[in-house]
This record gives sequence, structure tokens and C-alpha cells, in this order.
Amino acid sequence: MDRDNAFAELIHEYIAECLPVAEGVTEALLRVERQWRDGDREAEELTALKGQLHTLKGNSAMMGLRPMQAVAHALEDLCARLIADPSARTPDSAALLVEGSGLLTDLIRAARETDDATAAEVFVARVRAALQAGASEPAEKPPPLRLERRRADRRSGIDAGGTIRVDFRQLDTLLEIFGEAMIEQSGLPNVHRRLRAILGHCDELAELDRAVGALGATMKRLEGALMHTRLLPISSVFARYARMVRDVARDERKLVRLITEGGDTMLDKTILDRLGEPLVHLLTNAVVHGVEPEAERRRLGKPPEATLTLRAATVADRAVVVVSDDGRGLDSGRIADRARALGLEIRSDAPEDIHQLIFAQGVSTADQVTELAGRGVGLDAAAVAIHALGGSIEVRSAPGEGTAFILSLPLTLAIVRSLIVEVDRERFAVPLSHVAETSRVEPATVHEVGGRGVLLWRGSALGVADGGALLGTATRSAERNYCVVLVAGPRHRALLVDRLIGHQDVVVKGLDPALGRPHLVSGTTILGDGRVACILDAAGVVAREAA
Amino acid sequence: MSLPLRTPAGQGPLAFADELSAQATAAPDQPAAPLLHLIAFQLDREEYGVAVSSVREVSRVTDITRVPHAPEHIRGVMNLRGRILPVLELRTRVGHPPLVPGPKARVVVAEVHGRVIGLLVDAVAQVLKVPSDRVVPPPDDARAAAADYLTGVAQLDQRLIILLDLERMLQPGPVPHA
Repeated sequence: MDRDNAFAELIHEYIAECLPVAEGVTEALLRVERQWRDGDREAEELTALKGQLHTLKGNSAMMGLRPMQAVAHALEDLCARLIADPSARTPDSAALLVEGSGLLTDLIRAARETDDATAAEVFVARVRAALQAGASEPAEKPPPLRLERRRADRRSGIDAGGTIRVDFRQLDTLLEIFGEAMIEQSGLPNVHRRLRAILGHCDELAELDRAVGALGATMKRLEGALMHTRLLPISSVFARYARMVRDVARDERKLVRLITEGGDTMLDKTILDRLGEPLVHLLTNAVVHGVEPEAERRRLGKPPEATLTLRAATVADRAVVVVSDDGRGLDSGRIADRARALGLEIRSDAPEDIHQLIFAQGVSTADQVTELAGRGVGLDAAAVAIHALGGSIEVRSAPGEGTAFILSLPLTLAIVRSLIVEVDRERFAVPLSHVAETSRVEPATVHEVGGRGVLLWRGSALGVADGGALLGTATRSAERNYCVVLVAGPRHRALLVDRLIGHQDVVVKGLDPALGRPHLVSGTTILGDGRVACILDAAGVVAREAA
Repeated sequence: MSLPLRTPAGQGPLAFADELSAQATAAPDQPAAPLLHLIAFQLDREEYGVAVSSVREVSRVTDITRVPHAPEHIRGVMNLRGRILPVLELRTRVGHPPLVPGPKARVVVAEVHGRVIGLLVDAVAQVLKVPSDRVVPPPDDARAAAADYLTGVAQLDQRLIILLDLERMLQPGPVPHA
């Protein structure tokens, strides 16, 4: 068993070390493929890539992973040939490189689960055939590679920059402990207040006051530093998409290139992990439905190759990710027809309002159902996933010019800045990212229209929900004094509450399975006085307006 | 002719009954029946018991926060030393009216199927050892009403203790609606 554990640990390390290298090679080969197709048959980059393939081959051999070793070896040979023989530098041979490096990436990613050699054997045979079909063997022997020292450094877990590799689960544990410390700390001011009520003002209490304040400031810095260790550049997710876009485009017989920007934007690993699926949906949709086939683009006077852009940036305490294409844009008419057919409420004929309907279940922009998308599940599933992350998604589009999906995401999930509100003496945490505004409300300003509460807000009618009725806190309906305007994507809804308690960073604790998945609650947290409060699923509250 | 009530040889029917009851109360020569270790607690006017092995601790009732739209029989969640514990309203789960917790109310913290869940009870009586041969099957109507988690009734002096099988009552996943 110890041996198995040790092996599992080694495999874990192997994947952690090799996967980014393989993804990097694939990305670089995609660039080479593009260059060669454009007629620029340089092979400079191949020399470096060949070195990396050699490293991958060595690491795979050391682990006894023969399929990976064989594929890396075949790719290395193919690179050597292409470096030596300019006449062999065709788009086809570049495509073969891309395919092989994609296969290698997949094999490495799945190293824990499978070591099926079939795909590898087929690929190696094809490379061998390609090498024989061409001219003679490479004329010159490739120079020996000097990679051994770097490898040795990596083995120790320390690289030249002084970084160490740490299992992510340890960071989760650290954060959990920090969360507990934060809860304990948040109880201190309360005790302090009570002490002062007993003791009145005295020097000792002032000293305690200073100590509590200093502790608070230190905790804040500790939180920042801890969060920083969990951040990864979004490029680690972006790297996966270059090949995916290329493969989908090939299946669709379209010319598409993917440009990524802002890959150094940092996000919590948990969010990155959960962002992958929605981005796959958006990019696949863009290739399948967004961009036109080559011939159509030529006819329209557009560049024959379509461009997808994946852009990320940090704006205040949010990360913004934009997926855009230069395709045909959304067809408002068709979306409206589809929405009407599904019986959805259409707010206005303004294109912006109609465009948002594509996130509703069952609305699809495609004519035909394809294997990958167009079943009308992609976009609404993506929107649900983004909202579940505490993010928002919106779409902008202009006919003939293209479509952009704008995602706004929190930088972390573990600690959420919240507004604490009280309804019938029960307290709830409302994530601030979903709070547009709070205000005092005079009962007379809430009107009833068609059995629903409505409030005039920024010149338009806003649906109103009574906190007590929505959350079942009281049987009687009470007059509430405050209004919290919630926002999720383009939609707003007012929630009436009794009191606004204040802002607080809350440590998110999950929902016990015994609680099922209750509507309108996304998690729980412990407040400063030790009581548990539910965290409101603000997006759910806003969405419930339609129901 | 009537049968003599007590024959000199002690063979009459009453002697037989005497012998039986002597066995039941003392049973000095018989191998002792295995003992059930129970925690007994009060729900409404009934006394219930669960196996000690599935109980982690008994806690005083602190604030229990209601969770909107939680499954039926979930009273809410409470803070047990920094851990958020779901609390089951055990009274309604077994067909009594909900509890208004008084000073004697307790939360029995049980660990079942690898999950920790609190059971709100009126009061905890004691830890008991009950010989398993004092347990009789539950009455038929109770069995029909409360399904298979009522495993029996223990008779102890003047007390009747209804035995609950937590493993059966708390199946994995959300607490089922009644």
C-alpha cells in the first residue's frame, strides 16, 4: 500500500510538472501551424519545442509511461526532420505535430486513470509513415540537449525563483483554519463592549482596545497574503482552449483563430476550476454559431479567418473575462420569436433586452442541432454556472460585427463581503456583489400592480419582494423600513427588510447535505456573536421574480 | 374432580408460572442476555432511546438558525464550536408536535453514515443498559405509522422506552419528507 501511495504521489507530481509543458508546446505548435499556412515556413521555434518534447519523453520514461514516451519520441523525430528539411514544412506536417502534442497532453492529463496505448500506437505509426514518405533521414544529427541541470533543480521542488510546490489541499486547510480564527476574532468587539459597560473607561480597556484593533489589521493582511497563495494566472485555463477551438473549427470547416489577452490575470484556483466548463460552452458556441464559414466571410468582405478573443482583466475586486467573436452577431428577430414560442416574457423590443434572453432555458440561436452545441442548453447552463460562482454574465452584439460575452467574477469564493440584514429578528448575509443600492423606504412608495409589489427606482418599475414572505420568517406581513436593491446580470429586484446591520466579511461555510438544496440560500456563515446566518442566493431571489 | 392447585412435588400450573417469573426477574443461572447501551431522552410525553454508539455528545441548545425552504423536519442549523450543525426536529419526525425548547432541552449530536447531525429533544434522561431480552417488537399500529426505524420497545421497571434506529431513520441525502 505504501508503494501504491508513493506511486500515486509520483504520478501527481509527474502531471503537475508535465501538463503545463505539454500545453505550452501545443500552443506554440498552433502558432507554427498558422505561420506555415500563411507561407512563412520558419522553423526557429521548433528547436526549443524539440527540447521540451525531449524532457517530456525523459520524464515519461522515468515513470514507465510508454504511450507518452512513444508519442513524445515520435514528435521529437518529426521536429528534427522539419528543422533539417525546409521542403517538409507543410501545413499538413504542422497539423500532424499539433495533433500529436494534443494527444500527448491528453495522455498526460489522464495518466492517473489510464495507460491505454492504442491512440499512441496509431499516431506513432502515422509519424513513421510520414517520415518515410518524405526524403531521406535528417541530414544532420541534432545537437545534444543540455536540459539535465534544469531537470535536477525541478526535482527538488525548488526552482530558480525560490518557489516551492505545495499541494492545494494544504492551502484549503490553511484557509479553513484562518476562517475559524476570523470568526473567533469577530466576537471580540462584542465582549469588549460588554466589558466596557461593566468597567467603564480605564487604561487597561484602552490597551485591550488597541490590541483588538491591531489584531484586526493583522488578520486583514493575513487574509490578503493567504488569498494571494491561492491565485493562479488565468492563462493556465486559457492554454487548454487554443487546441479546442482549432479542433471545433476544423469539424465545422471554418477558419478560426483564438487570441488570448490578459493571461496574467490572477484568480482563485477554485474559481478557475469551475470557470472551465462555461468557457468551453461560450467558445464552442462562438465557433459553431457565431462565426460565418470562410466563403460567406469573403463575400461580406471580412477577413476569411475569423477571430475569437479571450480577454481577462482585473477591475477593482472583480475579474472580468470577455469572450468575443467577429462573426455575424445575434439575430434579435429569431431570438424574440423563439422566446415567444417558449412563452417567455419579453421586456422590450430593444436589442439589448432581447439579447439577454439567450440565457433563458431553451432559447438557441442555431438553425440546426450539431454535435457540440445548438441544443439550447449551452448558454443557460453557462449562465447558471457563472451565477453560482457569484458572477454575472451579459451579452453585447451588433449585426454583422460580432458578439461579446462579458463575465464578471469574484476573485475569491472563501470570504465574501456581505451586507448583513435583519428580517423579523433573523439575520441574513447578502453578498455585496449583488447589492446595487440600499435605501430607507416609506411604505407609501410601494405600490401594488396586478397583485405584485412595485417600487419606482431610477425611473422604472422594480419588482418588490417582502423579505418575510420570501424567507418565511413570519406569518404576519409587516411594514419594513429598508429596501435592498439586488442585481443579477441585467435584472434587479427590491428586497424589503427590517434593518441593515452593516458590512462584514463572512467566511462561507457550505450547506450540510441534510439541508438538501434549499431555494434562496447559497451557504451559511457564523456571525461575530456566534450565531449562524444564512447567505442569501441573491441571483436566485432576483430570478424568482418571474415565478 | 378439579386439578389441585399446588401438588407436593411442585408440578402444578402455578408453580410453572412462578418458575417463569423467577427466571425473568433474576435469571441467576442463565447466561445474561447481551446489554443494549442506550441514551434515553424525552419527546413530548414519551421516552425514546438511541444506541450510545451513534451519539457523539449531548449539547445545550444555543441559537438555532432557521434555514428558509429547508426540508421538512429540519429545525435549522447551530454553531457547535465553529462547526455548523444541521438540527433535526425529532419530535415532528416521529409524529409529535414541534418543541418549544425549555431549559432542559438538549441537542443529541449523532454521527450516522459518516454525517454529523443534531437531534433536538425535550430533555435527556440518562445512559441506560437494557438487557436485549427486555425488548419487545413495537406495536403494529406504531410500526405502520413510523416505518421501520422504530425497532422495539424496552420495558424497564415502570418505563417504556421506544427504541429508534438512527441508521435507518437518517438515510444518506436530504432528510426525506414524511
